[in-house]
Amino acid sequence: MVARSGHFLRRYWLEALMILPLTLYIGLLTLVPVLQAVGLSFTDRYTGAFPSLSNYQYIVSRPDFGEAFINTIGITLMSVTMEMTVGLVLALMLARQFRGRGVFRTIILTPMGVPTLVAGAAMLYFFRTNGYVNEALLRLGLIGLPVYWMESGLRGMFAVALADMWKVTPIVVLLLLAGLEAIPGDVYEAADVDGASRWDAFRSITLPLMMPAITMALIVRAIDAFRIFDVVMVMASRSIPVMSTFVYINYFDFQDPYSASAAATILLLMIVAFIAVYFLLVERRRGELA
Amino acid sequence: MSTQAVTQQPRTGAATRVRTDAHASRLALRIGFVALAVLFAVMTVLPLLVLIKVSFSAPQDIMTARPPFLLYNATLDHWRAILNADTVLGPARHSLVVATGTALFAVLIAAPAAYVISRMSRGWRYGLILALLFTQMFPDVGIAMPVAITFLRLGLNDTDLGLILAHLVPTLPFVAWILVGTFETIPREIEEASFVDGNGKIGTLARVVVPLAAPGIAVAALFAWLKSWNDLVYAIYLFLGERTLPLMTFYYSNRGSVFDTATFAVLLTIPVMLVTLALQRYVEAGTLSGAIKG
Repeated sequence: MVARSGHFLRRYWLEALMILPLTLYIGLLTLVPVLQAVGLSFTDRYTGAFPSLSNYQYIVSRPDFGEAFINTIGITLMSVTMEMTVGLVLALMLARQFRGRGVFRTIILTPMGVPTLVAGAAMLYFFRTNGYVNEALLRLGLIGLPVYWMESGLRGMFAVALADMWKVTPIVVLLLLAGLEAIPGDVYEAADVDGASRWDAFRSITLPLMMPAITMALIVRAIDAFRIFDVVMVMASRSIPVMSTFVYINYFDFQDPYSASAAATILLLMIVAFIAVYFLLVERRRGELA
Repeated sequence: MSTQAVTQQPRTGAATRVRTDAHASRLALRIGFVALAVLFAVMTVLPLLVLIKVSFSAPQDIMTARPPFLLYNATLDHWRAILNADTVLGPARHSLVVATGTALFAVLIAAPAAYVISRMSRGWRYGLILALLFTQMFPDVGIAMPVAITFLRLGLNDTDLGLILAHLVPTLPFVAWILVGTFETIPREIEEASFVDGNGKIGTLARVVVPLAAPGIAVAALFAWLKSWNDLVYAIYLFLGERTLPLMTFYYSNRGSVFDTATFAVLLTIPVMLVTLALQRYVEAGTLSGAIKG
């Protein structure tokens, strides 16, 4: 065994050396900090007892944690739903050939070149009480008084989700477009011969064949939406708490790394739970279809 | 759009439809398509136009209960105030040094590993790529906090090096992922031919593999640069006295200073815009994912 591993090293020493820095880096500066945070979250802040659920009991009892939890889920649902819908529509548009397609594509992809917090800053001017959304609604006569948008709850979630959606829809478009372009054209020809309408073709060919791309886009985007931070910090750093800003505020404003790491651990669990549930549901449905 | 427009068509799908009818519906489809395209384009550009507008607006256009949509009173005051003061130079220098350092180190650390992964068997390759992507699941705020505590002890807070080390955390897995894809496209036969020519392992890497992978490496480096340039999370934890450009934007918005926020946001966006426009033709295929969000 020793001889064999010696042989292995003699043959692959360069490969081992090349992969080592990345492994060490991810180990030391990603895995260790995550474990530290999880460990701290299970340590009692007064007695140092481990494992203890006292930090979790404490934050769950706080109303701002409940708000952060609900806001995070609400924003994720709204943002992912909106960007997947608009992203799919845009991808289907871009999959066709038309005059001005190149210009259209460049315009649609511009938000990719905008820092996330700038997306939040831009939306600030739309959703302020004297912002452009209220002004437009007032001029259209849809509201009589300015609406206060930046509050915890559905309105605030919507404003934040819209900023998030604006920023990331181009990425969804690119991912879905890649999936769309991977579908061979002769599948459609066959459907045409069979006399399927375009809607039928879309529902029974395009959509199922795009599922891998859709799954990928959905998961990547949901993970990011759960972790939303920049947009919220800029738009409403304290009035609309989400999980990430809850972590930050507890660490900096309250000097409480225990609550902060408990919230960070819960956020990680939320993401893992989402992915698990998604795969369970999708896999089961695929199983039924097969 | 096309989904909507398509549903409007009768679902008969039969070829017996009257010709003029088909013609009319095709025209309607076309108009709907153009209208939708224009709508999406306007919605995409509007937030940026508003930012630029605010950065050039006199206070009476913005600080009013009923703000006008158009620019009536233009001023250069906000830009002059920011560009004259030393406020912009320090943060810009930090942002530039950190982003460039991050891009450099990311490639130096990730490229060798990515090459090795790209030459592994299919199972190992997928396993390792999944493991890399898995690290993207951890909330940044959860990683940044222990890192900030450790760096405080090491005296790395408020230093460019500290922030570079932190920015490598979200950047490395992503850069490695792009580069595995790049190296996969280089055929092994070329390497074998180089071996036959008497180049050793290292000679082959330096003279054959790296030049062929150069475009992919450049794209990966630019993405790393963007990720670092845009970052707020790690900067907010590690820079307590010093500031980067994103931090400046955040502090102004947090303080509620309407014009400085817009001006800094525009300033922050200009370099990113240029880099992204240059990148756009390389991101055609599925070379990237949500990880480029920055």
